[in-house]
Amino acid sequence: MVGQAISHHEEEANDRVMFGFWVYLMTDLLMFAVLFAVYAVLHRNTVGGESGHELFSLPLALSGTLLLLTSSFTVGIAMIAARRGNKAQTLLWFGVTFALGLAFLCLELWEFSTLIGEGHTMQTNAFLSSFFVLLGTHGIHIIFGLLWMGITITYIMKRGLNSNMVRKLSMLSLFWHFLDIVWIFIFTIVYLGAFV
Amino acid sequence: MKEFLVGKLTWDSLPHEWTTIGGTFTIIVTGIIISVVLTRTKRWKWLWNDWLTSVDPKKIGIMYFIAGGVMLLRGGLDALMIWLQQALSSGDSQGYLSSQHFQEIFTAHGNIMVFFVAMAFVFGLINYIVPLQIGARDLASPLLNTLGFWLFIGGIIMVNMFFVFGGEYAATGWLAVAPLSGKEFSPGVGVDYWIWSLMISGVGTTLGAINFIMTILKMRAPGMTLMKMPLFTWGSLCSMMMAVTIFPLLTATLFLVYFDRALGTHFFTTVGGGDPMMYTNLIWMWGHPEVYVLILPAFGVFSEVVSTFSRKAIASYKSAVWGMIGVSAFALSVWMHHFFTMGAGADVNAFFGVMTMVIAIPTSVLVFNWIATMYKGRIRFETPMLWFLGFMAVFTIGGVSGVMLAVPPIDFQLHNSLFLVAHFHSTVIGGVLFGVFCALSYWFPKFTGFRLNERLGRYAFWCWIVGFCMSFIPMYVLGFMGASRRLDHYDASTGWQPLFILMLIGGIVIAIGVALQVAQILASFIQKKHLLDTTGGDPWDGRSLEWSTPSPPPFYNFVSIPQVSGRDAYWEMKNHTLPKQAYEDIHMPKSTGVGIYISIFGTLASFAFVWDIIWLIVVSLVAIIVIFVIRGFSEDSEYIIPAHEVQRLEEARIAKSPLAINTYEGNSTDEDMGLRELIMVVYKFVMDIIKNKRWKKW
Amino acid sequence: MSQAHEQNDEHGSMQSYVVGFLLSLLFTFIPYIMVVNQTFTGTKLLVTIICFAMVQLVIQVTFFLHLGRGPKPKWNLYFFISTIGVVAFVVGGSIFIMNNLHYNMSPSDKLKKIANDEGIYQVGGKATGACQGQHANHKVTIKNSAVSPLQTDADKCDTLTIINEDDYEREIAFGVHPYHDVYAGETELVIRPGKSKTITLSEAGTFSFHDHLQPETSGKFTVSE
Repeated sequence: MVGQAISHHEEEANDRVMFGFWVYLMTDLLMFAVLFAVYAVLHRNTVGGESGHELFSLPLALSGTLLLLTSSFTVGIAMIAARRGNKAQTLLWFGVTFALGLAFLCLELWEFSTLIGEGHTMQTNAFLSSFFVLLGTHGIHIIFGLLWMGITITYIMKRGLNSNMVRKLSMLSLFWHFLDIVWIFIFTIVYLGAFV
Repeated sequence: MKEFLVGKLTWDSLPHEWTTIGGTFTIIVTGIIISVVLTRTKRWKWLWNDWLTSVDPKKIGIMYFIAGGVMLLRGGLDALMIWLQQALSSGDSQGYLSSQHFQEIFTAHGNIMVFFVAMAFVFGLINYIVPLQIGARDLASPLLNTLGFWLFIGGIIMVNMFFVFGGEYAATGWLAVAPLSGKEFSPGVGVDYWIWSLMISGVGTTLGAINFIMTILKMRAPGMTLMKMPLFTWGSLCSMMMAVTIFPLLTATLFLVYFDRALGTHFFTTVGGGDPMMYTNLIWMWGHPEVYVLILPAFGVFSEVVSTFSRKAIASYKSAVWGMIGVSAFALSVWMHHFFTMGAGADVNAFFGVMTMVIAIPTSVLVFNWIATMYKGRIRFETPMLWFLGFMAVFTIGGVSGVMLAVPPIDFQLHNSLFLVAHFHSTVIGGVLFGVFCALSYWFPKFTGFRLNERLGRYAFWCWIVGFCMSFIPMYVLGFMGASRRLDHYDASTGWQPLFILMLIGGIVIAIGVALQVAQILASFIQKKHLLDTTGGDPWDGRSLEWSTPSPPPFYNFVSIPQVSGRDAYWEMKNHTLPKQAYEDIHMPKSTGVGIYISIFGTLASFAFVWDIIWLIVVSLVAIIVIFVIRGFSEDSEYIIPAHEVQRLEEARIAKSPLAINTYEGNSTDEDMGLRELIMVVYKFVMDIIKNKRWKKW
Repeated sequence: MSQAHEQNDEHGSMQSYVVGFLLSLLFTFIPYIMVVNQTFTGTKLLVTIICFAMVQLVIQVTFFLHLGRGPKPKWNLYFFISTIGVVAFVVGGSIFIMNNLHYNMSPSDKLKKIANDEGIYQVGGKATGACQGQHANHKVTIKNSAVSPLQTDADKCDTLTIINEDDYEREIAFGVHPYHDVYAGETELVIRPGKSKTITLSEAGTFSFHDHLQPETSGKFTVSE
């Protein structure tokens, strides 16, 4: 691991915490399931307004997808470095992940503001309500992830890398991977689905 | 400026209607009395250190029971008000409640009973008993445990907050059907209170469920495989697996309802493309498995009680386990039976009707298991066994009426009638509530070291059963006669009034039963010495590990984690010599106030969401994040009790405890205090205080 | 305890991340290009891209999350699989139920289409209006227990009127005695003496009818498209 032996007690605790976090991620997935179900049922209710076909930009969605996918890859590299105890590499790759995540967030915020500027708000119709809430919930999770990443990076810079930190980083990277997985389905069902 | 500071709050929000002022008054006076007593006895610090910040699941369990008990009284009061209104309001009489108020009452009654009574008792039991049964010292995450409890308390605060600010609760029925729950038809804050009390306690439940699952899956004593766990643990595991699955669905749906109200979205509105039917669909996806979440631990309790009191192992452990798993698996596939009449086609209705009937199969496996366990057993009819038998009778009626309702054509006649109301009360009262009473009387000696007064317990049981039948059998009849639920008035020509009056009398009998239960607890404490458990922690000749600990168990549960070899782990141990206990270092978690702090801000945030106080929302959410971060990066949450200290504690405890006669001899109940005797004792106590003016000492 | 963690598959190597990344890119681009070029359309395309998403899910779960490679029992994996199952139920079940509800609760203009789809030309004795335009009426008389004409030939959407000129009630059922078939939603027509009843001939084929109380009294009719 990080080169130091940890006690059996601590290893058991680690295992428990990771499992508990995994179960939490499953509950988060179920919340998204409700939002997906609502989108699936309501996305045709535009009350005569524009549908996704007219409003979405596939190249924009693809760019966001690529940013997030790459960030999921880089967070994996960061974790390999962390488990080897390499503080510099860990900070570097988490930094790259952060930047990519931030870029994704900016892209999404730009898309939202454009739509809202054109008068397509969540109050317009059921389709837009479900679009904004689904993507918005994902976006809020991204914000939380970035916040978590920022605080953790700062902490590592000041206090260094130890086995406790590696466990926290494992949870963070799990969270980040999970957000990319949810995005696959948003990209497919919301964006690609609008043009089918 | 004022709007920025206090959102939608106005002077008018303070209670000013006579109907709510009673509640406001009670809350304030009770709060004052408790504060005064604590101050006079200088117990604030003790309360904070020993109870409120405790992460000991035993203490948290007791706190859940107290909270649940208080809310049971509140919900029961709501029920009496409903019974009274319906008995009075026939023909020309309009009863004593306005329509609006009546609707708020039955809504509050439903929410409180399901979320804050049933869930509270279930969580309390799992907290206290499961670690003892699996040979663990604590739950997997003590922090999540205390956090979950305090979030639940936050929910209780929010559901009662309208007594202080707002004066109205939701008047939409316990699940707040759309579009009635939307801004257009419920413009006041009532539904917002509904949303946020459920939201905050729902988060607490989810965290608690994750914790319980982690504990049961990862912290069992060595040698205890899954198929060797006690059945209460199995029931809890299945229940919590379902809870962890469905509460996120509720949270998401509540957010959508909130967005419709606060942000003007169109999820469930009648305009803008919204679909109110989708709300019904989503909320019942949560609502149906929820009732199975409540009943499965009760099934577990009954399995253990029937086995202990028939002095036989459960007839077929494996099929009991698979029965519980079967119920949980199917629970997620039947939700549509709550809205057969909403307009779906016959094929959809038929699918869900069949799936609903299928659930009766694993349930019957359990029922027949219990009957087979009793067969050729040597049954003892102490109070826990009485509650079990009461459950068998009442729950079976409820279950069978449920299978009737599962048939769509029948449901078309009985949907939302009093037949339905009788069905779910039979299953919830007969199943969950009787299960809770059974569990409390069964494990009370474990919690306290002395048993409950048998006599008063028996009286209470009979009042409950007789009262229940008087109240709910007529309800089935009324359902067939066409009475719909939630009626605050009906025509005299229907001829229903005599039955409603009978129901009211039944309700009063139940209330007497509750009073007797309170008396029972009081009498037990008064007669503590006589009722003391002299068997060293095993008054019923139990079979599972919790009975191997002293009563009450020390805060570390076990001196050393037991090695388990078979099912009915303690039974095995009793019939072989117990190995000598070796003292070892014990890791214990530290008490923490983090749970309380986060919940305080969580409750403030909920309150702020209800009243649109934006700055408070932001401040509270930021505070929660900050507390989380600080706690997350602290590495100091445990402490170690060295082995010699453990030895010293154990020797001190043994010296103080009553002589342990390690055989079970049966409890003689002849000298248990009766009702008259109790009243005399209380009367003498009160007279003593008055005559000797003892209040001067306070 | 260390068990040489670097060798333990549970955390994964550079290799698995790179492979996972490249595969995910592939499974992102392919559905993208398919949609942009509209290689096919409609439900087929939707199902295809969803399949691609599911595969990418498995790729990421395997190569990024290393699920299922930890020590036994593999609780993480089991929880994941059961969650996916529940998600499928929640989303699929909602779509199934809501679609059905919308179909059955459509506004009146859509109801005509439904009636046509399901061959419901008559409800409660009244034509649903699905059969538009003028159609012929055919009369069948029952007198002295004799049916005339014995065989009627008609076109779809024509009407058939059965007149009972005897002085006792007749219970006209479709099919050959003792079987009762359902025709155009009707199982039995109770015709009082001197009265008649009319049905719309909405199903094509050859059918028979008989008086359930006196089965020898029977007739046939053929409906052509």
